[in-house]
Amino acid sequence: MGDKFKVAQPWLTLFARLILGGVLLAAGALKIGNLQKSAMAVRAYELLPVSLANFLGYTLPWVEIGVGLLLITGALVRISGLIGAVTMLAFIIAIGQAWARGLSIDCGCFGGGGAIDPEDTKYLSEIIRDIGLLILGIYLYLYPKGRFSLDK
Amino acid sequence: MAANNGGDKGTRNLVIVMVSFIVVVGVVFSLISNRSSTTAAIPASVSADDGYGIVLNPDTKPTIDVYVDYQCPACRAFEIINGGYLNEVIAQNKAKVVFHPMTFIGPESILAANAAACAADENEFMAMNLALFQDQSAEENSGKWQGDALLNIGKSIGINSAKFETCIKDGSYVNWTGNVATATAKADVNGTPTIFVNGKELDRSKENNEYGDPVKFRAALAAGGVK
Repeated sequence: MGDKFKVAQPWLTLFARLILGGVLLAAGALKIGNLQKSAMAVRAYELLPVSLANFLGYTLPWVEIGVGLLLITGALVRISGLIGAVTMLAFIIAIGQAWARGLSIDCGCFGGGGAIDPEDTKYLSEIIRDIGLLILGIYLYLYPKGRFSLDK
Repeated sequence: MAANNGGDKGTRNLVIVMVSFIVVVGVVFSLISNRSSTTAAIPASVSADDGYGIVLNPDTKPTIDVYVDYQCPACRAFEIINGGYLNEVIAQNKAKVVFHPMTFIGPESILAANAAACAADENEFMAMNLALFQDQSAEENSGKWQGDALLNIGKSIGINSAKFETCIKDGSYVNWTGNVATATAKADVNGTPTIFVNGKELDRSKENNEYGDPVKFRAALAAGGVK
């Protein structure tokens, strides 16, 4: 970790904020138009009690939008990055267990979701994407100070 | 770093407050709008105790619950494969059948479910159910079921009453579809079509698909007590 990192770090933070924030904002925005489907997507993981799954399905898209907006504007970056990372970890666990149990579902990450044909599942690519986003979230928790940020 | 001045701190706090406001309002709105409405008009054949489904043969046993979305291609396939036998079961009063028209595919699913409920009030639910699947668009929410389209489907199966026309035009049972959706969410139905025979879900597995094979479908109903 030399001088080069010191120079690059604020720009990397900006990059991580825009990617993670942009993905979360898009993911939430695509779901709020169809919350029935969002709740169905969460239920399809067969991980949570039905009432809790429905609650998450109705509310999680708004949290994604909120965290996405905070990351993009650069407010509360450390906490937002942490929430983003925890969310991604939860998604990875949820998708992983669905895969391991042989469920056939769409992750419902960007709208959609629910039971699908077994040959249409794409668990590996979903998990790889979420691991990438998890790393960005952890980076933001460690290095929240970056360019063009409302946080000082 | 960007220049540091007092105004930025105010902007930051304002952004935090506004974002929090959006999230809280969104969450509250979502939770309220996905609750069952006690004031929604419901068709005569609908029973709140049966998940706000349209009930045929209310006093017969066993019970078959059918969850479909009129825009779902797999539901159309199911109707083509097994609809005839299901009609027979209903016509011969061999089971109580509860239809739950789901609306997660979007606005035209709501219009179609409303039309099916309007037809139920004319005692033409099964004919409308079939006609809707026959008229299904290849594309979701294509605009095909806007305007007078659903009224004309009703006419094509012989429903000409003024009451039906009003029901379609006013969307009399649109709010009811929300109640069906809420009950469906509570019943843990995650895909369409989904069929329960006496509360037991039909097998969707590749090896023993009871939805796609008419022989297996009959066998599943028979196992549930449909004689």
